[in-house]
Amino acid sequence: MAAPQVHHLFHAPIADHSFSFDKKTLAVARENNVELYQQSGNKFALSDELKGHEKTVTSVDIAPNSGRIVTCSQDRNAYVWEQTPTGWKPTLVLLRINRAATFVRWSPSEQKFAVGSGARVIAVCYFEEENDWWISKHLKKPIRSTITTLAWHPNSVLLAAGSTDSHARVFSSFIKGIDTRPEPSAWGERLPFNTICGEYLNDTAGWIQGVAFSPECVTVVYPSAPEQPPRAMLNIATRLLPLNSLIWNGENEIIAAGHDCEPFRFHGDENGWQLAGSLENKAGEVRGAREESALNMFRQMDLKGQAQADTKLKSTHQNTVHTIRTHEEANGVVRSFSTSGVDGRVVIWNT
Amino acid sequence: MSQINYRTINIDALDPESSANFPMESLLPATLPQAASASDAASAAAQVRQMLRGGDPEGALRTVLDTAPLGGDDRAKEVHLATVIDVLQGIRQGEMTRILEGVCSGDGGAERADCLMKYLYKGMSSAAPGSGTQTPKKPVSPQDTGFSQIQARNLGEGGGGQQMSVLLSWHERLVEIAGTGSIVRVMTDRRTV
Amino acid sequence: MSQSLRPYLQAVRSSLTAALTISNFASQTSERHNCPEVEANSSPEILLNPLHISRNENEKVKIEPSYNSVRISIRIKQADEIEHILVHKFTRFLTQRAESFFILRRKPVEGYDISFLITNFHTEKMLTHKLIDFVIEFMEEVDKEISEMKLFLNARARFVAESFLTPFD
Repeated sequence: MAAPQVHHLFHAPIADHSFSFDKKTLAVARENNVELYQQSGNKFALSDELKGHEKTVTSVDIAPNSGRIVTCSQDRNAYVWEQTPTGWKPTLVLLRINRAATFVRWSPSEQKFAVGSGARVIAVCYFEEENDWWISKHLKKPIRSTITTLAWHPNSVLLAAGSTDSHARVFSSFIKGIDTRPEPSAWGERLPFNTICGEYLNDTAGWIQGVAFSPECVTVVYPSAPEQPPRAMLNIATRLLPLNSLIWNGENEIIAAGHDCEPFRFHGDENGWQLAGSLENKAGEVRGAREESALNMFRQMDLKGQAQADTKLKSTHQNTVHTIRTHEEANGVVRSFSTSGVDGRVVIWNT
Repeated sequence: MSQINYRTINIDALDPESSANFPMESLLPATLPQAASASDAASAAAQVRQMLRGGDPEGALRTVLDTAPLGGDDRAKEVHLATVIDVLQGIRQGEMTRILEGVCSGDGGAERADCLMKYLYKGMSSAAPGSGTQTPKKPVSPQDTGFSQIQARNLGEGGGGQQMSVLLSWHERLVEIAGTGSIVRVMTDRRTV
Repeated sequence: MSQSLRPYLQAVRSSLTAALTISNFASQTSERHNCPEVEANSSPEILLNPLHISRNENEKVKIEPSYNSVRISIRIKQADEIEHILVHKFTRFLTQRAESFFILRRKPVEGYDISFLITNFHTEKMLTHKLIDFVIEFMEEVDKEISEMKLFLNARARFVAESFLTPFD
């Protein structure tokens, strides 16, 4: 197993990151701007900046096929960026929300995207040819607090959302004329807009920080890392600090990362899930334990009054991990995934 | 006319749609047990004390955590807290780790660990019930120049220090077993004990 | 470190580790604002249950966690009136210079002597475990500092009294 590739881009929090389809371009949200990096050799070099937001950019997503980038920010706006010969051109999206936009993801069909917000709505946005702009429809009903995370079902109609009101919900975001009628599934047969297909609350009522659909399921992670397959609710009580984000690796494995600064692996099936361990340790063995020389130790004691400077964490990430995304997958099995965090690093891990 | 200062009225509180009026009961899961009354808690306490006297501290701790009145009123919770603290104080230092491992394993062990953690924090937040004679702290202001050495004697180590140190050592052991995740769940869980 | 202080600080450390898992959060009450939710106190679901850790009646810590900020209030040991005055002076000295301490709150929470307010911006710039180390170290040092000051004060009082009373010798 190869060691994780670490790209230390800058010393500022990365709220979100996204790779383009060919993995050559990397978009990261840095403060009020989005920075685009191009791969050159082993490194990523800054190639462009998308400026336009007035407040912290909270989320960024590159559509794999069209290459469009959608960004949203705490200034209540979302932009769709399209590449033109003269550079990236932003188009403002009519979100009609009056609080911060917190999370954005393209639907797999790339016809729509969903924006979560602090205004207790999810704006499902689609392009209207007649007026030549992006307009939105609101998913509103039972949401009582800020939306923190969203995930799309592969059919581009079902949308899972996690919120600080501690509920994870599955909505239908069917828009006539844009979507094809979905196949009846476990979630229901007729799915008009704003149908609530599922609503879940965990016993310990933590905030939902991440949701993801497995090929068949929806999963939720929050402080105590509970997960939930289609109908029943499953809960993994861990020793860990809150997890922020997760992905599925096949049907029986989940990889999640969060405030412990390293990704963890969970194994399980419908009968129960459990923590299988950190992905970091394996990587640590490859790198080998660093021997502390006596000279170094005495020098440290002399300078700082302590034997070992512990300003560096043992994990690859030096601070909270915010986002975890699938990097490469084949036949539903994740071969590598990428994480980004508050420490300004983007790391590509092999599973 | 009554004097109402309209500037100081918090108008957000009057708006049912405002985020300040979040329905907290929506955070309670449907599996919340039936509301227990103080007399239920007292009968559970009697049972637990029986077990403790009978030399089964592990069973006592297990029972007391399983019967926690998560949906009870304040009185029931208070009675139960006193029982939990009695059990914790009745277990010797040397046995703590062994008993904890027993209680926190098996079916529902993680819930019991979280429940115990809740009681540890609750026990530390409430004033020591055993030392009810504690005088309310006299407002000592720097202006008050009269020296009073008499009442100050008790302050240094007094005030339930004994009980707190028991709770603190339980806390330390429990963190070793259940990890910081357990503390996170104490913070998020709205089913208070 | 005395034997009974260690579990206390250990409990504070693990509680802080759990509480300092905070991330950026824009206000859902006022537009385009981003303020510490624990101070704004505007949406109850964003605040979590406060944690109390106490060693005895007079030494306790209260941790109030929320989505994007944590408020830590410490009650420092005050065994007698002199220590009370010293603690008051000492914390006043610190809080008046709160800007240079970043995480210090200008006013302690009622019932406590000194409060810290740690927001997500602090944990982004500084290492979380170092922030925790700082708070723990502060708690260790402040007791030492106060009792040292008390000794100095007593020595000085003795000296002053001596020189005042020499003429009557």
